[in-house]
Amino acid sequence: MNRLAWLPVALAVLLGLIAGLYYAWVVNPVAYTDTAPASLRADFRLDYLTLIAAAYAGEGDLPRARARLALLPDPNPAETLAALAQQRLAAGRPLAEAQALAVLASALGERPTPFAEGETPQPAVTSFPTRTATRSPTAPPIRTATATPGAPFALSSREPVCDQDLDPPRLMVEIRDRSGRAVPGVEILVVWDEGQSRFFTGLKPELGLGYADFAMQPGVAYTLQVAHSEEPIAALESPACTAADGTGYPGSWQLTFVQP
Amino acid sequence: MKTIAFRVAVGLVIGLAAGLIYGWVLRPVKYVDTSPDTLREDFRADYVLMTAQAFGGDDDLESARVRLAALGPRPPLDLVVEAIEYAVARNFSQRDLDTLNRLAVALRASPGAGIDGP
Repeated sequence: MNRLAWLPVALAVLLGLIAGLYYAWVVNPVAYTDTAPASLRADFRLDYLTLIAAAYAGEGDLPRARARLALLPDPNPAETLAALAQQRLAAGRPLAEAQALAVLASALGERPTPFAEGETPQPAVTSFPTRTATRSPTAPPIRTATATPGAPFALSSREPVCDQDLDPPRLMVEIRDRSGRAVPGVEILVVWDEGQSRFFTGLKPELGLGYADFAMQPGVAYTLQVAHSEEPIAALESPACTAADGTGYPGSWQLTFVQP
Repeated sequence: MKTIAFRVAVGLVIGLAAGLIYGWVLRPVKYVDTSPDTLREDFRADYVLMTAQAFGGDDDLESARVRLAALGPRPPLDLVVEAIEYAVARNFSQRDLDTLNRLAVALRASPGAGIDGP
């Protein structure tokens, strides 16, 4: 048998291969109708995270929230949730949504991660917030603090902070409960001559679960009030600081509130 | 001539089989960017339950509708009823059933406009 005799066979194999691939990839591809949350597109995955947080806000079942989060390939869900909270706030989404994310992030941050060591799946969100001012929310929260209900927070210390890296200067607030633990999700109201803003502790877990900050304008006097706190702190103006070379710059304030 | 036709037929079958094995087994179409409407039944039920739990916290029926719309173009009430049936069949807790029922009742009481799915 000469070589040419095999040519039709080779062509037939090629034709069959093409037909097979066409059928397998185009006409009748493998149908994935029973997918898992891990395969969701990135935007749907973030919506799924938001839904987990909203369900946690409605029910308060942390083990269940953990089990749901474990379905997604994220090595550090607490950071992802906190970052997502800020993104949603910045995008003008409902405040309750961002707060639910922040509260769940805080709740997760207080306990060990449910993920096994060595797992390095792709995080759902790869960019995390830097230390910047929080946005002013636009709607009242539905679910508020996780602090001890009814117990007021009292100002424990009020110190000027001279740090040139803090630009713009900030009102930095730290909230702690009776036992000295950081309290996330506490609402803080700031009022000044031309407006007001609300922000929450725990939205920047990398700086502490009880931490929150607000960007100050030099020369503007602010009044700050913490939820569950009886007295507002008035006349908070950026203190004057002096750099090593003698130049002046606006400083920040560090306010610590505790439950007496 | 008969031999050639036989060889061609054999070649076609071999090629087709190789193509199918490659396309279905070795390198199937990968769905990595799926949408919630492709979720498996148990995940769908949990998705609906999460929506109901969120609704239990915020009473925001419109948000619940938007979330359920991600599961496809079917009416949201049908999706909740389907989840309730699944929950009953799988012995979900009474609390979960109550949560789902509450959303179903709210949807039934306020049919609203349909929201397109993904």
